[in-house]
This record gives sequence, C-alpha cells and structure tokens, in this order.
Amino acid sequence: MSGVLSTDQYREQIWAELAKVARPDSRFHWDFSSFICDFIGSEKCSDRVLELDALKNRGNRQIFITPDNCLEDLRYKLIQRGIPFVMTTYGIVRGFYRLDPTTIPVSDHHYAATLDGFDRYAVAMPLAELQKGEKFALLVTGGSAVSNNGVRFGKGHGYFDFEWAVLSELGLTDSSSVVADVVHDCQFVNEVMPAEKHDVVVDWVVTPTQAMHIDQSSRQSGRVFWELVPGTEFEHLGIVAELRAIQNLGPF
Amino acid sequence: MAKRETSARQTEIDLVPDAPLYEQVRDRLSQMVLARDLSDSTPLATEPNLMELFGVSRGTLRRAIEELVRDGLLSAEQGRGTFVVQEERVRRVVWQRLSEVARPDSRFDLDLNQYVPDFAGSNLAHKRVMKRTEWKNADVVFCAPDNSIEQLRLAALEAGKKILVPTYGLRRGFILLDGTKIQKTDHALAATLDGMERFGKRLGPGDLRQAGTIDLVVTGATAVTTDGRHIGGGQRYLALEWMMMKQLGVLSSDALVFAVVHDCQVVDEMVEAEPDCLLDLICTNTEEIDVWEPRDSAPSKLRRIK
Repeated sequence: MSGVLSTDQYREQIWAELAKVARPDSRFHWDFSSFICDFIGSEKCSDRVLELDALKNRGNRQIFITPDNCLEDLRYKLIQRGIPFVMTTYGIVRGFYRLDPTTIPVSDHHYAATLDGFDRYAVAMPLAELQKGEKFALLVTGGSAVSNNGVRFGKGHGYFDFEWAVLSELGLTDSSSVVADVVHDCQFVNEVMPAEKHDVVVDWVVTPTQAMHIDQSSRQSGRVFWELVPGTEFEHLGIVAELRAIQNLGPF
Repeated sequence: MAKRETSARQTEIDLVPDAPLYEQVRDRLSQMVLARDLSDSTPLATEPNLMELFGVSRGTLRRAIEELVRDGLLSAEQGRGTFVVQEERVRRVVWQRLSEVARPDSRFDLDLNQYVPDFAGSNLAHKRVMKRTEWKNADVVFCAPDNSIEQLRLAALEAGKKILVPTYGLRRGFILLDGTKIQKTDHALAATLDGMERFGKRLGPGDLRQAGTIDLVVTGATAVTTDGRHIGGGQRYLALEWMMMKQLGVLSSDALVFAVVHDCQVVDEMVEAEPDCLLDLICTNTEEIDVWEPRDSAPSKLRRIK
C-alpha cells in the first residue's frame, strides 16, 4: 500500500467532491453515512453495465443488485428490458427479494425501480427458496470509494460484502461470477489498497466516463466469517438465522 | 466492590441476576406505565413504595426513573411526584398496536419512531376521504409525507389537483406537484417520497404562497384522539408546517384537516396532551369520525392553535 492518505482522509476528500454531484435521498437527504447516493451521470454507468459480457451472456444465470440509489436507473433499464433481478431491502433488514418485470405494468417501470416502489412488485425470497435458483452471473453494487485493485472502502460497503458471502455460502456464486462497482469518478482512488479477508474485490469499476476491468482471477470464493458477526448490524438479521438453520449451526 | 443488591429479599417483582438491576427496574416500570389506563393521570407510586415493590435501593430506583425521564416517558416534578407523559405513552401504546398492521418503510423498515407507516386497510380509509365533497372541491391539498397517504397523494394527482408535500423532516422545504402537469404514467412515482422531487417544484418557506390557497390538509398520524387531536412523532412537524402556512396566509380561512389512520391509532380523550393541530375528520379503515362538533366546545387552548 502506498498510503498517501489514510482511508478516513480519502473518505472526507471523496465526500466533499461527491457532494457536488450527489443526489439527496428522500429520507436521509445529504447524510452520506446512511446511504449510497445517486450522482449526476449514473445513467451513463447503467449503460456501461448493460454492455458487460457477464450480463449479455448470462444465459439462465441471475443478476443481483444492491438497493443503492446510484443503481436505480440500472434497475429501471433492466425492468424495461424484461430482465429479472434479485435485490436486498435497505440494510438487508428483510432479506432478499426478486423482481420479475413481467408482473409490472409499463406505467410503473420507473416506480418499481425506486426503493419505495420496489416493495409493491418484488417477491420475498427466503434463502431456502433462493438457493434453488441459478447461480449469479453478475452482481452490481454502489460504493463509497474503490481502489485501483478493486478494494471497496468507506462506510456502508460492508453490506455488499455480507450479501456476497451469504450468496456464496448458498453456492450461488462461482469463479465466473462477475462483480461490478458503480461509482462516480471522484469515488475512484488510483491506488492499491489492502483487502481484508471479508472484502469482496470487484472485477469492474464503472463510472460515468469509463469501465475499468481489474483481474480478480485469484479471488477466493466468499464465505461468512461467523466469528466476526456477533456485535455487528448483521447479527440479528433474518437471513443470518436462516443461513445458520440451513447450515445446522443453531442460533447465536 | 460495593455490596450487590439482591432480589433474594421477599419482593413483589422478581428481578433476574444477570442484567443490571436499574435496567430491569426501568423496563418493568415502563411496562407498568404502558399498561395503565389511558385516562389515569395520577402520579406514580411514591419512592418508598416503588423501592419496596422492586426490592431495590433508592439509588437504583432513581437511576431507572432518570432514564425514563430522559426518554420522555416520565416527568419528575419537584415536590409533586413522578408523572407519566401522556402523549409519549400514547405514542408507545399505539406503536405497539400499529406494528401488527404497519407496512415497512423502504428505509426505516418498521422503526415507527422514524416515520408514519402505511397500514393494512388504508385504501378503505382513503375511500372515505375521497367521498367527501371537501376533497372533491379542493384544488390545492396539503399532504403530509406520511406513507399512510401515499395512495391519496396519487388519487389527488390523478384528479388533477395540486398537492403541497413537505420533504421528509422538512429538511429540504416543500414540494408542489401539479397533477395536470405530470404525465399519467408518472403519477404513481410522483406520489412517493422517492419520486416526488423529480416532478414537483421545490418551495422554501419564502415561496410557499406560490402554492395558492390550500383548502384541505390531509395527514397521517402516530395517534389521534376521538376529540380531534393529532399526535405526530415527537418532532411536531405538522404543527410547524401548519404554523408556517397559517402565517404566510396560504391556508384558506375555512381549511379543514382530515386524518387517515388505522382504528388502532384512535384513542379516547386524553388529558394534558398538546395536539400538533386540531382535526375535523378522522377516516379509518372501518369508520369516519366527524369531530367538527367537539371542536366548538374544545378548551380555549385548542381553539387558539386551530
């Protein structure tokens, strides 16, 4: 790690830049520590994601998207194209949901792409149900910051790491699963950062101006580090209880 | 180490040894308060009585009470005793009931402290509002940003009305939406908090007059009383919004206030609660409570707010 700035210093610098292009949240306004914001130009990011081979050549495999505001336009475009996807609710509180665009009237495509509208059309997927489905071809997340070796950092990135870990434990990811991180250019840090064992390094950093591929062929498959869970925001999630039941681990 | 208090003494309430005593006393006390009759405005039992009841020292009891005072549920009045803050108690009682029928928010899930939820059967309450001539005749409707009236905001847009909606927590002003200027296919999105800012015009307090004259105010609530008091979250946003609109002259002189709530949010008349504003009509999933009459005989404090 070259370590010019600490991650906290990067985060402050990035948030100052991001504030200039960010779109406020309907509940959290400008409080970036509570959500991953949308930004000017995110539409260009979704167009780039739609061009990724992992999406175009997905076959029967599934798509996963995080409930980040910068991915609303991508959700809208997937709905328009009739491509179903799986998403978690905010904070993973209610677990995984699947949205099937064929159930949505055209007039509600935009509506269903928002967090407020998603609930109206998406169907809850208990882990046992999710596990019966195909593996994931592409997982898309937003992020507060990402390094040039594909390490995400900054507040809020832990949720996707956990989602990846859970999906992996269920056997729904493999070496051909591709992870894309949608960020504004100002959220990209051209530096190598060290990854923690639970960090998911990303294959693509997609910004309004470019899509950068990062070779992650040596990425280990994800797993839940149970010893790290107690005391975190994940401990009492429904999916934690579900996964522990599936794995015969018993409650914490 | 100080000698640990034990519950080995014969007391009326059993406390367990593995959690701090003051926390257990606090929680039991809170349960007792919530279980009280709504109209009971007598002070709590005296300190010695409570110490005996829980089998704890004065210090432990005081610490428990201090926490509940800080929490807003109790108020300690020098020389008079410890009282229950009725308004806060009503909120908590109603939140307990409401959690059975509430629909989760897209961000706050079921943390009812943070938002006013939509509920099972809200469509029936909406129909009662929409049947009223005051609704049909209103050109401009103030709509609270409560989830329980999202579908009413939609109905207003579809009927070609203008709606004025505060942003959540009033943090970024008000949004004015004009149903006639928004495409039909965008109405559903425009009625949500996530979507409204894309289709409406943002008004700061100084621009509120651009909304025109508001004929009708429609709101959700944490609780309402049968004599027409609106009880919101602790922040009193509706009271603030009402006052701003009143002072800026955007409320028509005979503007009415309709509340949409679930049955379980309606409580009988309650002492000492200060309403955010007075209601004219309460529409629930099962009934319509017209509170015009009681308003005339309401205490002067209430009339002044209205």
